[in-house]
Amino acid sequence: MKLLEMIDVSIVAGAVLGTAGVLLAYWGNPVNSGICVSCFMENIAGALRLHNDVRMSYIRPELAGFVLGSFLVATQTGRFQVKGGSSPVIHFLLGFFMIAGCAVFIGCPIKMILRLSAGDLTAVAATLGLIFGVWLGVKYIKGGFVLDRKRELPRINGFIIPLFAVLLLVLPVISPSFIRTGQKGPAAWHAPLYVSLLAGLAVGAFAQRSGLCITGGIRNFFLAREKTLLYGVITAFSVALVLNAFLGQFRWGMNAQPASHLSHGWTFLAMALVGLASILIDGCPFRQLIKAGEGDVDAAITTLGMLYGGALVYLWVIRSTSAGPTFEGKIMVLTGMLFTLVIAMTLRRER
Amino acid sequence: MDWLNRLSIAAIVAITIITIGMVADREIMKRQQENSGVEAEQEKSSYALQMEMDKKLYQKVISYKEQGLYPEAMAELKKIMKKYPEKSLSYVYMAQLYLKQGNMGDSINNYRQAVEMEPDYVDDRTPLFIGDKIKKLVTEGRKKFGREKTLRPKDKEVRKTIDDIYYLQSRLAGGCE
Repeated sequence: MKLLEMIDVSIVAGAVLGTAGVLLAYWGNPVNSGICVSCFMENIAGALRLHNDVRMSYIRPELAGFVLGSFLVATQTGRFQVKGGSSPVIHFLLGFFMIAGCAVFIGCPIKMILRLSAGDLTAVAATLGLIFGVWLGVKYIKGGFVLDRKRELPRINGFIIPLFAVLLLVLPVISPSFIRTGQKGPAAWHAPLYVSLLAGLAVGAFAQRSGLCITGGIRNFFLAREKTLLYGVITAFSVALVLNAFLGQFRWGMNAQPASHLSHGWTFLAMALVGLASILIDGCPFRQLIKAGEGDVDAAITTLGMLYGGALVYLWVIRSTSAGPTFEGKIMVLTGMLFTLVIAMTLRRER
Repeated sequence: MDWLNRLSIAAIVAITIITIGMVADREIMKRQQENSGVEAEQEKSSYALQMEMDKKLYQKVISYKEQGLYPEAMAELKKIMKKYPEKSLSYVYMAQLYLKQGNMGDSINNYRQAVEMEPDYVDDRTPLFIGDKIKKLVTEGRKKFGREKTLRPKDKEVRKTIDDIYYLQSRLAGGCE
């Protein structure tokens, strides 16, 4: 306990995140995708047959672990507070657009860190884009942007996403016929189920305790020069970098990196969208899952928006391949930017 | 607890039992089917059937290729490509024919088109996997076209081929795509 008091919990959370991210890829998850909230959302959407790509159909236990780890810690420490009712449709749509942005970059902010730590220099444009998006979001916050106040809701609302997470863990075990598990492509690449679950629970628990959030760390720095969460993010990167080097997974360069493309402008814009949207709804895709686990109903709605996004990026081909972003992906990033800017602008209030 | 709550709880319990019973029944039947190996066989036979059909479709192409009649094989292949533009295997054969004739650039380009249409070619968990051949080709190609790029930095064809090589290497490297 004393040790935990001495070392900032966000640094511990960052270390756990970085370790899990690298080791899960080492133990079987797709290369550089030990943890990727957007890829995993796409996988789960496929497994639930919300899209048709069997190569991206697998129930990733990590995501359920994030939610349940957060839920367990929150309930044990009295932090489980069921609140919501703040612009639910906006939360849903921004959840969708965050996944669309991630799909165009091919990865969420956590995967961006993991790709960077593995030497993938195409993630530099993503990092700059994300930082720009967060910076822009902070400008709107300083300029009066605020979503309407959350209010306390009946407790049952807070249990729905954790129960959904439990269901996601039960489904692969009983394997009902409506669940599809791909035997090829990224779906076939996965760490053992119990390892993925334990890693997810640990990451979720520490993230709940620390409030770790990739965009939140950058936001706090821009907003108030507050560095606690940023230290967690930097720790996650540093630990992943060392582990990747140690495990021989580090490959420095811009070309021929796994699941990456060279359309840096679109990468920048896509992650700027993710950064801006994350600031408006208070958390990156990963943080939304953690908040959904601690009873935040708005985050739960964002999570459902992200799941919907995970399906639509495949049905509407709103994504990138190694050849670059599709036309539909580009249009959706632009549409997402338009939507997000309109929301940011119209919800500014005079101070 | 009033009568409405008691009724609700009774209904919840009953519906839960019925649902679990129905799912369990369905699963028992499914497991029996799985044990008989029906699904695995279906998967295997789907690939086998496809390969058998392809064998017939590309019979002439294969024959010409084996005889070393590459232009004739390519002409035949172009006919098939026109009739069945969705067949990714045409691009694999085209890549092989270009390579046989010493045209590494067009060979790489055709492999790229094949992989874009059918990712199974670089997935070692499928019977269509030809990743080893592609890997060997792009490794050699990267050296060759790397040198050519130094000699002719503005040559669009060289740059395009290098772009194709990076694409194929990226796909071969795996990742969540």
